[in-house]
Amino acid sequence: MRGYYLHIPFCEKKCSYCDFYSLETTQHIDAFVETLLREITMRADDATDTSSTTPVTSVFFGGGTPSLLSPATLTRIVNHVRAHVAVAANAEWTMECNPGTVTAETLQGYAAAGINRLSFGVQSFTASELEFLDRIHSADEASQAMSLARAAGFENVNMDLMFAVPGQTYDTLQYNLQRMLALQPDHISAYSLIYEHGTPLFAKMKKGLVTPTSEDVDAAMYALVIDTLTRAGYEQYEVSNFARTGKRCMHNRTYWLCESYTAVGPSAHGLLGSTRYWNHRSLTQWTAKVHANELPEANRETLSTNEQLTEFLFCTLRAEGIPIATVQQRFGIDIRTALAEHLPDWMSADFVRDTGSHLTLTAEGYRVCDELTLRMLACVE
Amino acid sequence: MKNYRNFCIIAHIDHGKSTLADRLLERTGRVSAREMTMNQILDDNPLEQERGITIKLHAIQMDYKANDGETYKLNLIDTPGHVDFSYEVSRSLSACEGALLVVDATQGVEAQTISNLFMAIDQGLEIIPVINKIDLPSAVTTIDNVKQQVIDLIGCKEEDMILASAKAGIGIDEILETVVAKIPPPKGDPKAPLRALIYDSIFDAYRGVVVNVRVFDGTMKEKDKIVFMNTNQTYDLDEVGVLHMQRQRTGILEAGNVGYFTAAIRRLQDSKVGDTVTLANNPTTNPIEGFREVKPMVFSGIYPADSDDFEDLREALGKLSLNDSAISFEPESSSALGFGFRCGFLGLLHMEIVQERLEREFNQVIVTTVPNVRYKVITTRDEILWVDNPSQLPNPTLIKEIQEPFIRAQIIAPSEYVGTIMKLCMDRRGTMLGQSYLSADRVDMTFDLPLAEVVFDFYDKLKSNTRGYASLDYEYSDYKQGELVRMDILLNGEPVDALSSIVHRQKAHEWGKKLCAKLKELIPRQMFEVAIQAAIGSKIIARESISAIRKNVIAKCYGGDISRKRKLLEKQKEGKKRMKQVGKVEIPQEAFHAVLSID
Repeated sequence: MRGYYLHIPFCEKKCSYCDFYSLETTQHIDAFVETLLREITMRADDATDTSSTTPVTSVFFGGGTPSLLSPATLTRIVNHVRAHVAVAANAEWTMECNPGTVTAETLQGYAAAGINRLSFGVQSFTASELEFLDRIHSADEASQAMSLARAAGFENVNMDLMFAVPGQTYDTLQYNLQRMLALQPDHISAYSLIYEHGTPLFAKMKKGLVTPTSEDVDAAMYALVIDTLTRAGYEQYEVSNFARTGKRCMHNRTYWLCESYTAVGPSAHGLLGSTRYWNHRSLTQWTAKVHANELPEANRETLSTNEQLTEFLFCTLRAEGIPIATVQQRFGIDIRTALAEHLPDWMSADFVRDTGSHLTLTAEGYRVCDELTLRMLACVE
Repeated sequence: MKNYRNFCIIAHIDHGKSTLADRLLERTGRVSAREMTMNQILDDNPLEQERGITIKLHAIQMDYKANDGETYKLNLIDTPGHVDFSYEVSRSLSACEGALLVVDATQGVEAQTISNLFMAIDQGLEIIPVINKIDLPSAVTTIDNVKQQVIDLIGCKEEDMILASAKAGIGIDEILETVVAKIPPPKGDPKAPLRALIYDSIFDAYRGVVVNVRVFDGTMKEKDKIVFMNTNQTYDLDEVGVLHMQRQRTGILEAGNVGYFTAAIRRLQDSKVGDTVTLANNPTTNPIEGFREVKPMVFSGIYPADSDDFEDLREALGKLSLNDSAISFEPESSSALGFGFRCGFLGLLHMEIVQERLEREFNQVIVTTVPNVRYKVITTRDEILWVDNPSQLPNPTLIKEIQEPFIRAQIIAPSEYVGTIMKLCMDRRGTMLGQSYLSADRVDMTFDLPLAEVVFDFYDKLKSNTRGYASLDYEYSDYKQGELVRMDILLNGEPVDALSSIVHRQKAHEWGKKLCAKLKELIPRQMFEVAIQAAIGSKIIARESISAIRKNVIAKCYGGDISRKRKLLEKQKEGKKRMKQVGKVEIPQEAFHAVLSID
């Protein structure tokens, strides 16, 4: 598998918790698109990228708010990608959408362009929480967006949900979950609110204007989310991701299996074989570089085998589990032996299961995933 | 010899000793005004300058042309300014014939000053009282009182006191003239067999040990074969000289003078402070009195934070002990901390200095355990065991009695704090031995206190309870039997040897409770619940529990998060490595001296 990520760095309004690179304007979109197309071409022509022989199995428009792109503009970008990059016929084409910025027409236009998966940043169905999160849409708009998506023929739709939001109660969380389940999305990403450095939310927390949800409540809410979603027929296949059978997100699985992905647009991060790169986190700098016919990268690093092992273990553990045979083949490590000191305890405490092929996390294990990861990494040096 | 004057300065911290010394050096032309801009020349160790105290001794010779037209050689011998080093003080005093007693005009006499003063008087030194800082505005109201304190203390006349301000340069000439006039010249016979007192020795990476001596009788010359009388080591003198700002080679040192020598001595332990140096072919039969082995009083485990660094730590301690002969260290091992050293120190300040030096000068990352005293254990078979590590205390059924060291503490404070000080000392199992008034509002109290109770935060408590006015001095007295028990700390049922302590039975309960609560604060949540228990033998006297981690996972990990997360994990992994593991419980290093931060 192989991914392709396009970063669209524009929003009508920035959300206080979001640390993705995005500008609160729609002014420069046209110029941006021209530059983006040039980067796509440059990356396709980059002779140093030896991973590009694998056809792309997923394309992802992230942001920012990609649904600020008109169907015509989107079609141009899609066609440009198809013209320069080998994309598999059955590839997953995802687009992140703000429920407040879509219409029947735009969604039909995106479908016509080839988008076959939508991801709606719904977050909540409770007005006070939406307001706290600076979301521009209402609960009803989220429901509407889903109807429009279905009407436009989308059979693979994700909805984002957020929990451990200050002011949220178990009741409102339960309500949000029920409202969301009623819309029957194919996939749900349920995130515990993160206080990212540099965001307005983080600053508010530091000033004491916002009190983060306690660890105990966060844990209980997480348990409620997992329980509710799994009972409703969604399988948890990553810390924050749940899907109906056959609807796991191909693109994100690419990340969690440490497979290559090309990334374009300001601030976008790519992985080509064992090289990670990240583009300038500034529209101006990124544009200038591309116009100078240079890859608009702020930096790149080639991972040592040890670093690759670290990434592979922590990424797979938090998702579908550590593939035991793969770790043996790629790194020559018998992971069961390496973890012999901890594994029996973890299994008896029901944090980890050994499926024969994978070491996977249970619901309890996902809850303390980072702690397990740290101990695991300390064992495999 | 009649033109030599050997003297020292007795003063409390901050009463201006170093400034006065600097001023004397400047006045006698030993230091140029330019050099004076770097203040306080005698305190040349950065740690000393930071703490405003003198740890290592210094000496300096000045040439002074007095009003009588004669030029005198004045040897100023510095004294350490902390109770941990009182033996060194006594040795440097015995190298002198006189002392300047410097008292701050606004502060009055302090405990440290009195004990050093009495030591000087005992040794027959001529005392010259100097009231310093007379230029401070507040001195106007306090100076008469301070003068009276000094008169009461040494029985001098008011006109004997020199009013000075080292900072402003007031009274400096008068001090120098008085030194010449009042302090007797040294006695001694340059022709007699050599008798020289070691009052300090320092390690120099190029020359080996540089020994500072006061010659009482005889003469030492380069190439002479000398003997250290207590260690019975023989050496050939390489270099002999006097101490100016730098060492000044003279090739010879005669009775009455103060100077240094080198003799390719590799170990500081061979040239012990207080020992007598004589000539191998013409030895004295009369060594200088007062030598004693310096014994460590306070002990603590020092472990490398990373157990791979054990050998590095051994090397660092070895090098450090080259110029700190008072430290002792023996390898020991702990189930919690791995391999490390049980180190002995003169006192708490000495311990802190050693720890800081290990970190600053030798780049060691260390874990230290709670300090304790050395206990004397008498077994049921009437054997005597010395225990300086609580976890080594034998099984209670084998113990007839445990004795602990006591100190005689002298506390001087404004009389309004008498009640506060009494309460503090009683709480620390102290007994008052006496109380006298130095003036109407200043009291001098003496207590018998277990050293173990002073080792922790006694000094800080004393200072904070008296708004900084009380001063403390103490000397070791003797060992006394106590109702002492070993208190162990168990984490999930497993004892953590490095957290064991020996406590008084009556205090064990409260102490156990506080320690458990402190550990609960310091030990982070783990994958499993952790039970913290304090136990005496098999009896649990206090407990706390740390609930398991409820949630620890970052919600998002997408394309742009992975390398950032990897770097974070690598950093966190380093932190985890520094944690010490007991059973399944990970303990941060701070927890091992948690007791020090208990109220």
